[in-house]
Amino acid sequence: MAASKDSNLIAIAEFIIKEGRRLGATECDVKIASSDAVDTGVRLGEVETLEGAQSRGLHFEAYVGKKSASTSTSDFRRAALTDLIRTTIAMANASEEDPFSGLPEAQYLATEIPDLMLTDGAIAKIATEDKIQMALAAEAAARGYDNKITNSRGASFTDWSGNTVFANSHGFVGSYSSTHCSISAAVVASQDNEMQVGGWSSGALSFNKLESPEQVGITAAKRALRMLGARKVKSQMVPVVFDPLMAATLLAQFVGATAGSHVYRNSSFLAGKVDQVVANPAVKIIDDPLMMAALGSRPYDGEGLPSRRRIIVQNGVLQCYLLGSYSARKLNTIPNGGSTGNLHFEPGLLSAEEIIATVENGLYLTSVSGPGFNVVTGDYSRGASGLWIENGELAYPVEGITIAGNMLDMFNNIEQIGNDLIFRSSTVSPTLKIGAMMVAGE
Amino acid sequence: MIKVESAETQLQKLFQLTSSQVQRVIDTATGGEQGKSKGVFCDLYFQAGTAQGLTFDQGVLKNTSSSTTCGAGVRVVVGDKTGYSHTGHVNITNLLQCAKVARAITDHAGASANVAVGLPEGVSGPHDLYGILNCPVDIALQEKIDLLRNIDKEVRLYDPRIQNVTVSVACESYTIIIVNSLDQIFVDLRPLVRISVSCLAEDGGRKETGSSGGGGRFEFSVLAEEDKWKEHAHIAAKMAIDLLSAAPAPAGVMDVVLGSGWPGVLIHEAVGHGLEGDFNRMGTSAFSSLMGEAVASPLVTVIDDGTMEDRRGSLNFDDEGTPTSRTVLIENGKLKGYLQDKKNAGLMKTALTGNGRRQDYRYAPIPRMTNTYMDGGQSTPEEIIASVKYGLYAANFGGGQVDITNGNFTFSAIGAYLIEDGKITKTVKGATLIGNGPKALHNVTMVGNDVSLDRGVGTCGKAGQGVPVGVGMPTIRINGVTVGGAK
Repeated sequence: MAASKDSNLIAIAEFIIKEGRRLGATECDVKIASSDAVDTGVRLGEVETLEGAQSRGLHFEAYVGKKSASTSTSDFRRAALTDLIRTTIAMANASEEDPFSGLPEAQYLATEIPDLMLTDGAIAKIATEDKIQMALAAEAAARGYDNKITNSRGASFTDWSGNTVFANSHGFVGSYSSTHCSISAAVVASQDNEMQVGGWSSGALSFNKLESPEQVGITAAKRALRMLGARKVKSQMVPVVFDPLMAATLLAQFVGATAGSHVYRNSSFLAGKVDQVVANPAVKIIDDPLMMAALGSRPYDGEGLPSRRRIIVQNGVLQCYLLGSYSARKLNTIPNGGSTGNLHFEPGLLSAEEIIATVENGLYLTSVSGPGFNVVTGDYSRGASGLWIENGELAYPVEGITIAGNMLDMFNNIEQIGNDLIFRSSTVSPTLKIGAMMVAGE
Repeated sequence: MIKVESAETQLQKLFQLTSSQVQRVIDTATGGEQGKSKGVFCDLYFQAGTAQGLTFDQGVLKNTSSSTTCGAGVRVVVGDKTGYSHTGHVNITNLLQCAKVARAITDHAGASANVAVGLPEGVSGPHDLYGILNCPVDIALQEKIDLLRNIDKEVRLYDPRIQNVTVSVACESYTIIIVNSLDQIFVDLRPLVRISVSCLAEDGGRKETGSSGGGGRFEFSVLAEEDKWKEHAHIAAKMAIDLLSAAPAPAGVMDVVLGSGWPGVLIHEAVGHGLEGDFNRMGTSAFSSLMGEAVASPLVTVIDDGTMEDRRGSLNFDDEGTPTSRTVLIENGKLKGYLQDKKNAGLMKTALTGNGRRQDYRYAPIPRMTNTYMDGGQSTPEEIIASVKYGLYAANFGGGQVDITNGNFTFSAIGAYLIEDGKITKTVKGATLIGNGPKALHNVTMVGNDVSLDRGVGTCGKAGQGVPVGVGMPTIRINGVTVGGAK
């Protein structure tokens, strides 16, 4: 199925580039995406939502010299496309010159499109009834786990398959297909007048990599139950152990500060820090969009630049920024790609339990809330909840507190990196321990 | 005013569909009279229009973009169950296919309840809140570029320490047509404009940012009024410059004064989300069992009002065709009302409030806020600040977040001022403030007489859908708030 759809989209992309050039664009590019998605939701043992849709859209960018404009649409009729191209070029003409604008120079574009095995044909063959059964099984496992699980926000099975094509007037034409599926559940645990929600989701590119519905449900139930009886703690400076999901969020914020757009604006705490120590010497951060069959993989990036494995932090020293072609021109250097895929910390040797055992009094962080991160200064202050650690063991749940610090201090103060790295999304991390952060509570 | 043509004319013009074709789609989705008699409801949501954005960065026009939408969604509701499908390529074949996909939910029908019908209390029909003479998208690019350049200049003029300025303008205009199985048809033309200003100030290696913005459902020319855009330029510049000398924020529990306007994001997070009908119907909101009970100090009255003229969160009718209304959520501290859509109001047997909203045609509607604010009280802002022995005065906020089920909410101050002995003494850095929805508002001890809404920048996220909203509040004092500073 993928092949025929792909060739149709490629033909549209090639038409648009040719038409764009004919109608006056000096350079142009187009991205086309189409997808099929199904979402099956259940709640309290019954089907609650069934959603299914085929979507498609295209994004066209035209340059007239150093002037540019872009447009997007879901109307693929030939006449509408020609109109769209004319409109875009007229908008570009009415805009103003930006000396740094333009496609990536041809020599930087990807010349090979590796097959990263990003699809699983098995997903399309799953019957709706089987998807419903998996969602029901996840919810039933969660509700049956403990009689303190008293309510449910529901469970779902979702799947997605898509094709994408990117082409530009330097002759680049790339396309690939990918798939994704997930099972998730969220249930409510209650006791006295307190309610706590706990959720879990397992997502994968192929069906056989998903956790079982029962496993998803039980994890959701455990996450809700362990928060019952949550209280505040006194304000104090303590070590904070980030669970893998929280550590991944932190990693994404840290590496986001190396984006070229922040660097040329000098609007990041990491601007000007290449070749300088930005983290504990034990820290190694890797970006690897070429991993086979992984959720964050892609054969080329959004501008047609090649995907490549790169080390972003080595021995605690920042190695590079993330530079798309625009940022690279602004900084008078060569582009290395402005986005990441399968971004992760290199794992360490200790298990999560062993890391927790090193903390006498501190926080095991399982949830954060609010924006609370200033990329310019690195100042970090977020709402937090999790489990309090006493004498190396998880002792009781805490909520209604905040954690604060400065990202640069926090990364320099990474004392341990766990061995529990799982590629469950496009940015991942093992358990992480930060030596000291300010916890505000009572 | 731009004349809004009849729904039938627009369906023909924008989607090349006749009334009988649309009826065929509805009949396919509901299963005709037989389905309707079993309580099957269907609505079609058509959306056509354009969103346009321009960004001026570091003194040059960096982005000029436009996005055209022309799509439709088909929804089937039976009892508490929903089927949904959408297409970005509207024709009768694709709509019939969507109808079949959405209809599959009826194979799973359980206990039936009809969706709520009728009008919200005190409302006689759709409003006329944002008639415009000129579509904001159609205003010449040059006018917009000139505005961006003027703002950029004004921010730089404020202080030589301003290094970077980014200014953007966003204009959109959508025609919305809703047709349902109750033989109702609605049409609306929804304009929305917004300006955003951000800047970076630098002094001796220290860097800080400031931002401002505003907009609403009105003409582009309102954004271009000189006093309005200059105000945004000055607010952004002043914020960045002030923060250059800010001390670290304190950590711990203290009394906090919140300024009027945008700090109303507190109300949005602490109260608003927890009173959305879906969570309360399911019993998963921290407010679920508290109707009629005191959930705030008697000084607190909270209102959601989708009927305010020109406001970003306002709508003539919601995304199910129900006219918006003014809903009192908390009156003198007592919990009074929920925000409802058709499905949840039907299941809970309450009146509609006109809060069924969706991001766009790709999503089924869910209960959402419109413009949500705390009503004004008696104190002057000066009295409120003077009443605090030691605390924080926070007037600039970023966003916030809430856990609906346990009620814990956070919102982020972008810079604040220390109050010592009733006087503002120094600027401190931003910090997260945290509290619990049903508990925090009991600690409101003073409410100002200066209620105002934000300048028109808010976007609320829920279930992956973003919708424009307004928030508001007078100056208030809350005792015993946990402030998440680094010291």
